[in-house]
Amino acid sequence: MWKTEKVDGYLRPKVDQVHRIKHHFFYLLVCAGLVACSRPMLPQQLVYSGYNISAANATDSTLGKLLQPYRDSVERSMSVVVGNASATLEKAKPSSTLGNFMADAVLQMANKKFNRTVHFSLLNYGGIRLTQLPQGAVTRGKIFELMPFDNLIVVQVLNGAQVQELLDFIAAQGGWPVAGVSFTIRNKKATDITIAGKPFDVQQTYTIANSDYVANGGDGAAFMRAIPQVTNGYLVRDALFDYVAFLQSQNMTISANNEMRINHVQ
Amino acid sequence: MYNRRKFIAQSAMAAGSVLLGSRALHAASMDVAPVQYLTILHTNDTHSRLDPFPMDGSRNEGLGGVARRAALIEKIRGEAEHVLLLDAGDIFQGTPYFNIYNGEPEIKALTQMGYDAVTIGNHDYDGGIENLAAQMQAHGRFETIVCNYDFAGTPMENVAVPYKIFKRGGLKIGVLGVGIELDGLVPANLYGNTRYLDPVAKANETAALLRSKGCDLVICLSHLGYRYSGNKISDLKLAAATSNIDLIIGGHTHDFLEQPEVVRNKNGAEVIINQVGWAGIKLGRLDYRFERGKRGKVERANSLLVTKKTGE
Repeated sequence: MWKTEKVDGYLRPKVDQVHRIKHHFFYLLVCAGLVACSRPMLPQQLVYSGYNISAANATDSTLGKLLQPYRDSVERSMSVVVGNASATLEKAKPSSTLGNFMADAVLQMANKKFNRTVHFSLLNYGGIRLTQLPQGAVTRGKIFELMPFDNLIVVQVLNGAQVQELLDFIAAQGGWPVAGVSFTIRNKKATDITIAGKPFDVQQTYTIANSDYVANGGDGAAFMRAIPQVTNGYLVRDALFDYVAFLQSQNMTISANNEMRINHVQ
Repeated sequence: MYNRRKFIAQSAMAAGSVLLGSRALHAASMDVAPVQYLTILHTNDTHSRLDPFPMDGSRNEGLGGVARRAALIEKIRGEAEHVLLLDAGDIFQGTPYFNIYNGEPEIKALTQMGYDAVTIGNHDYDGGIENLAAQMQAHGRFETIVCNYDFAGTPMENVAVPYKIFKRGGLKIGVLGVGIELDGLVPANLYGNTRYLDPVAKANETAALLRSKGCDLVICLSHLGYRYSGNKISDLKLAAATSNIDLIIGGHTHDFLEQPEVVRNKNGAEVIINQVGWAGIKLGRLDYRFERGKRGKVERANSLLVTKKTGE
């Protein structure tokens, strides 16, 4: 027990014990420190702000200067107008105007460039890299944004069972862009399949135009890896350029074909 | 009899009354200040969108742009005490800038804006793993963090780290990163010898390590994706299957979350998940207030109060 005495009306430790307090004072500070440190800093409050970045924001000039030489050179090569869209094309599942346009380009150009009858074409949905192709002039840069990957067109020959497996896979994904084939999704399976205008025949073989990305198992299509590929170095993006140039040469525009090539039935 | 407990109690009262006003003690206690503030700024899936979307009538026309983002970040740095600037991957691919320059201006821009750390998205492999490593080494002045890719024997071996501890004020912030499964998503010739490891096991292990190193906040930069209908691992599933992660900054699925999602981890503690769409259209800002508290059996005694600021 500590003995106390009254000094100036206050209760104080007795003088002979003050040195003990001093002696233990350092120890006390260390203890207080340890107690504080053993209690971690915890987040108690969180305020979230989501800033939309638009023309209302100020512009940082340093970054503007850093980008200028890159921008100038990109614009020189990418601002060339290659075609014209008479309507805004949209990306959607199971079928969409933008998906139909891209799959049409791949089907038509594959027929030409591989010099053989291709029955249908497909692209993976995630491979469409713009959500919209806006109405009006279409620049070279816009085609690059739509299809920035250097994916090749490959031609593959599938037996009936492989076609069914591929279309069931597309059905399970909720529908991918296709041309030359149409079907209805029932319980995540492809049914009522029509290929090149005729009912699907499981006894037949079919020739398809695919991207090397999907043919090599991309987007979960691992089963496609086993199927041989014919390739000639022709890019999906080049098919888009050539198809748009073909439309221009025919005085045609890129139009919104809203044909529902893939339908959903519950 | 010498009663130590009583001694401490009495001395504390006596010493406290004498010393609380002392400048010396006040100065000494700066590093154990009772309240700390931390501002986290984040982006994901910026996809080479250095310029705003063109004014062409499309949905996103006029939105985004790094020069504007940089100015906004500077403004926030001026008003916030401590800032950590993070990105959750897919910096590359999406505009001709990448087709022509392979990511050089994108990485230079992140460095110029003062990013502290990024994780790797699947599209960051689009120019090949050699290109990713070369761009980061030549132009990146920030950490590249991922704990579930084994880069042994690849050009990324000495570029990426599994985690990094940042010190801001008196706070220690541990940042780890997780990447998506590459097989079937990225062509094998592009990701080379990168070995994908289970993100749940690696995140759990790394988060526990960061906690044991005394981190006050553990952040996971994730390119797994926010949510899937199937069994595929997502940020929501990662949060529920791990412990010691306080915040997941996500990407890959391009979700514009209205506000951060608050979910429970496997011990019942809160995990905050956020994602701000894509293309640099949005910048996320999380203002944390830290106080001393007890980390109980469920990691955290108190519920974090999350509010959303409107009118931004």
